[in-house]
Amino acid sequence: MAEKESEGPLLVIDDEETIRDGCRQVLEKSGYTVITTTNGLDGIRIAREKHPALVFVDLKMPGMSGLEIIDVLLEDIPYVVLVVITGYASIVSAVESMKRGAYDYLPKPFTPDQLRAVTKRGLEHRELRIEAKMLRDAKEQIEKDFITFVSHEMRSPLVTIQQYMESLKVVAGDCLSGEARDIIERCDKRIRNLEDLVEHWLDIRHIENGTLIREKERIDLSGVIAQAMEDMKPLCEKRELALEEDIPEDLPMIIGDGESLVRVFVNIIGNATKYTPAGGSIFVHGEYDMHYVSVSVSDTGRGIPADKLPFIFEMFYRVKGEVEDQRGSGLGLAFCKRIMDAHGGKIDVSSQEGKGTTFVLRFPR
Amino acid sequence: MTVKKKVLLIDDDRDFLMATKLILEKSGYEVFLAESGKSGLAMIESTCPDLAIVDMMMETWGEGFDVISKIRSLEMGKDMPLVMLSGVDLQGPYQSYEPSDEFPKVNMILHKPVKAEDLIRYVGELIG
Repeated sequence: MAEKESEGPLLVIDDEETIRDGCRQVLEKSGYTVITTTNGLDGIRIAREKHPALVFVDLKMPGMSGLEIIDVLLEDIPYVVLVVITGYASIVSAVESMKRGAYDYLPKPFTPDQLRAVTKRGLEHRELRIEAKMLRDAKEQIEKDFITFVSHEMRSPLVTIQQYMESLKVVAGDCLSGEARDIIERCDKRIRNLEDLVEHWLDIRHIENGTLIREKERIDLSGVIAQAMEDMKPLCEKRELALEEDIPEDLPMIIGDGESLVRVFVNIIGNATKYTPAGGSIFVHGEYDMHYVSVSVSDTGRGIPADKLPFIFEMFYRVKGEVEDQRGSGLGLAFCKRIMDAHGGKIDVSSQEGKGTTFVLRFPR
Repeated sequence: MTVKKKVLLIDDDRDFLMATKLILEKSGYEVFLAESGKSGLAMIESTCPDLAIVDMMMETWGEGFDVISKIRSLEMGKDMPLVMLSGVDLQGPYQSYEPSDEFPKVNMILHKPVKAEDLIRYVGELIG
């Protein structure tokens, strides 16, 4: 029966021959494909190969314990449904296994009807879980597409508003009081922030679609860093922050997209400028070993509180900046993380409140 | 009496036309507006501007290129200072436009939104 095939085979792990044979007979008669084995290790190996939809596991077998087998199967086989076969008086272990994620238990001795019933229910349960996940994914995709659509639609009006702001400054500039000019400046900043947000969002979507990074080639990371530092120099000077580097001359090349990596470093250094008070410094350090090239960006800023640290790479997460009006889009670090993912690299952060923060970007060689 | 220099703006975005007109008029230029490539070309001939600013994207993507080509093929447009505006909907490979060698010359490419002081300075550099 083709329908039942597509669900994946059933696997019976039991050291008792009568159980294995009995299950096989009953279930094959109902049209399922059945695989049997005598012990946990073989069962796990077969399961990883065949991806069964449902596995019967005897709790009490010599060798690997039933609970251990459950743990591994749940970890390795997506959507697998586990039914534990228990001895007459071992309800406690049955309950324990259900706490660990087993779907149901079959106490011995059990009838063919009971076996068929639990199988049917278990497989239906699995179907529902798979469908639920598909729906969740579809919903998420729709949400993302919607936000992308809105972001696109927002760009044009934002540009228009900005252009009018420029006109306003020119047309009415002379007759505007200091207060009025201040208000226009603030509006301007917020509009720019909104623009950044939209751009970042669209960039992230592009990374996820695989359309942002064009081609990867061998690039000189020190050149990328130099470019980013060059770009950020004016801002650092304005904020009275020292920007220094210590990059070895022979920093190895990596495979990547130079343009997006420059943006990553600009982002990270930019973050440092937001959270470091005037007179502080930002330090870029590079090193490498046989397997990785690592670049760290440290600042002497006020640091990130420990309870906020795990969230900073999440989308829209923001921490208040040093200067009053500074507002990030909340997407900068999410963007950086995705670019690093796309390069097979890692980005990590460590911080001490009052002392400073260090970001470490690690690339495979 | 000094004659005002004439600037022609060709863009299908009315808001952009208005906003830019305000900036340029305040700086003493006489500004003409055209909302399409077709009317823009007609206005080149009728007003004979000192400078034309053309949006890259109008009704269709890249329509601005077409308009620039046509202006350059006119006798009066051969050496006319021309500025191209790059649109806001460009992404990815089109974001930084690099004209090919055969493409008719534009004197400058600007990105929207244009800062008032930049616009005034560039126009001043091109036509005084």
